[in-house]
Amino acid sequence: MSQSQPSRLGSLLLLLAAVIGFAVALYAWLTPLTGVTGTIGALGVAIASAVLALLTFILRGASRRGARTSLIVIIFLMLFAIGFAAALLHQYIITAAMVVGLIGLITLSRNSVRHNHRIRA
Amino acid sequence: MKVSITALALLFIPVTQAQKQDNAAEASMGTQEKLNVDSANQQAPGTTETTEDASTGKRDGQKVESASHAASSLVPSSASWDSFHGQLNAQKYSPLKQITADNVSKLKKIWEFHTGDVSDGKGDTPATVWSATPIFANQTLYIGTPFDRLIALDPGTGKEKWHYDTKSSRKALTQPVLKNRGVSYWQARQPAPGQACQKIVYMGTVDGKLFALDADSGKPCSDFADNGMLDLNQWNTVNAKYPLSVLQPPTVVGNHLLVGWAGKDWAYAEAPPGTVFSINAQTGEREWTFEAIPAAIRKRTGTANVWTHMSADEAHGLVYLPVSSPSPNYWGGNRVDPIPLGTSTTALDINTGKVVWSRQWVHHDVWDYDINSAPTLMDITVNGKKIPALIQATKQGFLFVVNRLTGEDVWPIEERPVPQGDGSVQGEVLSPTQPFPTKPAPLLDQSKKPEIWKLADIVGAGQCSRLWDKLTYEGMYTPPTTKGEGTLTYPDSAGGVQWGGVAYDPQKQIAVVNTSHIVQYVKLYSREDYEKADNGSGNESGFAPQEGAPYGLRLMVANNWLGMPCWQPPFGEIVALDMHTGDVKWRRPVGASQQYGFFMPESWGSPTIGGPAVTAGGVIFIGASMDAKVRAYSVDNGEELWSDQVEAPAVANPSIYEYKGRQYVAFVAGGNTILKDQVGDQVVVYALPE
Repeated sequence: MSQSQPSRLGSLLLLLAAVIGFAVALYAWLTPLTGVTGTIGALGVAIASAVLALLTFILRGASRRGARTSLIVIIFLMLFAIGFAAALLHQYIITAAMVVGLIGLITLSRNSVRHNHRIRA
Repeated sequence: MKVSITALALLFIPVTQAQKQDNAAEASMGTQEKLNVDSANQQAPGTTETTEDASTGKRDGQKVESASHAASSLVPSSASWDSFHGQLNAQKYSPLKQITADNVSKLKKIWEFHTGDVSDGKGDTPATVWSATPIFANQTLYIGTPFDRLIALDPGTGKEKWHYDTKSSRKALTQPVLKNRGVSYWQARQPAPGQACQKIVYMGTVDGKLFALDADSGKPCSDFADNGMLDLNQWNTVNAKYPLSVLQPPTVVGNHLLVGWAGKDWAYAEAPPGTVFSINAQTGEREWTFEAIPAAIRKRTGTANVWTHMSADEAHGLVYLPVSSPSPNYWGGNRVDPIPLGTSTTALDINTGKVVWSRQWVHHDVWDYDINSAPTLMDITVNGKKIPALIQATKQGFLFVVNRLTGEDVWPIEERPVPQGDGSVQGEVLSPTQPFPTKPAPLLDQSKKPEIWKLADIVGAGQCSRLWDKLTYEGMYTPPTTKGEGTLTYPDSAGGVQWGGVAYDPQKQIAVVNTSHIVQYVKLYSREDYEKADNGSGNESGFAPQEGAPYGLRLMVANNWLGMPCWQPPFGEIVALDMHTGDVKWRRPVGASQQYGFFMPESWGSPTIGGPAVTAGGVIFIGASMDAKVRAYSVDNGEELWSDQVEAPAVANPSIYEYKGRQYVAFVAGGNTILKDQVGDQVVVYALPE
């Protein structure tokens, strides 16, 4: 499926959020004196961010409407969960990144709706 | 003379019906009157024994030979921090003013030092618990480690001057963990130049040895005991199959080293009796001993020991002992005889070891409510009258305030009736009353069953409600039971207030203390049922055998499946009290709880281990919380002024010292597995930028 400009931007923002989430959470998990060094919470956010990136790629490739909608809902929940968990880890950069990811998801899903309308027409 | 409600009640109870209560009631009487007889050289049988020199009165009339300090004012003018609580009065107060409430936010880490002596318990070495307050003496910072090594550091840079390895056992001999609470310091009044061991650092070990090292070189003092090493287990002759550990540094009063010990809680009905040894600081010779347990029953019970630091009033020649509960901790059928010095604050004459006064804070203790912190000595002005006072914080969250010279109440302490149990436990004879202070108010609300935290109950699908329904509770002193899930105990066995104790600003007459709010439940199992039960145990939770008693026990923290507390936050607070009135000046949650790495809102507070220190600059320094942060609060209003992240929860009291004109604040970040599985080996020191 060919990607429109907004769709590509949305995907990029989502990927950027996932990369930042993964990198910051991994750093917090590995580095002494972050307050969450070696904790399940920090590792969990790193893994969840990696999963977010994977889902973004899957969403980019998904063409069926039902699958895309499901993926969008799952990604939305993940963004919220990662952002909330990161705030409880005091890793506010990740929370901010998830807000960026949310913008990306909105861009992507709006474009997706318009794209689908055009297909139906 | 004090006449307790218990004593009055006994007058009207026929002897034949009240024989069992009689024993407990005798135990319950604070015996102020009886123990004052001791001070007149008529030793009550079975309460105190002293070594020959002392008991024959050869030392009577001597004042404390003040070696390291002159008899000090309760408002120190110099900034020493040469003992566990800063000063012998346990005020944890520094007169230094360089760091103030206005500039503390600029505090920077100046240096840190890693001892390397740390274990998370996952390998062959037990986990480490490190509660050692660094002491500043001889222009050096001294610290003991959980591997029983002693390290001397440059106070300005953290550079190691020397270290000494006691090569003690790295086995969990008496504790489930390797634990160290630091070192003590002594120096001759006029140290002879060039002569070794005119200044000595002492440290105890897990295998019951006490080491004395030259403070300058770190070499053992050959004149002290056996080439610098004294084995306390040589004096462990009653119930000797249970070893002693010396985890707390000796309390140094003049030329006396006062040494208590730690044993294995909850494991046995019998245990060594809680002897405190007075030892000559230079020679290691035993001077006198103190026994809390009467001689007649020492073989069948034990402990009532002093495992935490003591305090002393050098000017009056008194040392104050926080005495723990007798063994076994959760069943008292083997010790229904009076043990008036158990779970008490007891004042001894420093030269003879004779009891001057004693107040028992829990009668016939079956809750493991050891007196766990050194009483803080203070001069307070109440209704315009200056009182030489002592404040004893307890695990129950009570603050008992008495005249430190006589033991008499400052504010009334009342004997009140307490629950008498459901009769399910054989041989138990409970005290009908327990002492309650009328002022200050309890630090945490133990007047009613703790409310269930709805969030935890919902997340646990009603788990907390179901647990609450199965727990026996008739008030704070509800005794253990064999029924249901057991008895709800609040505060928990680690304590509403722990061994960090109370800090005190003598200028403002403000006392500061941190609390933990933790609900546990304890169930007794008959020996047969105990053998069948799942006997897993952790640190301060799980199953414990109480061998020799008819009951083993299970002790659990009341959490849901996710580890959320079933009771409402806050889980820990810091409280400031105006000691003119005994009223709370301010209180606030302290720190943040952490689970799986997630920080909970600070309004929920954190359980704490370790206590505060206060300064003349109007600042309280404290670590202690689960989130492994060290913080500064305003003495005046409790506002948080500064914080920094450290390697593990800083479960030791901080120390504050001045070196080359600069004020430093030192923490050790060692962690404690009771709080969470995060351990460290970091000494971290802060100061203002130059």
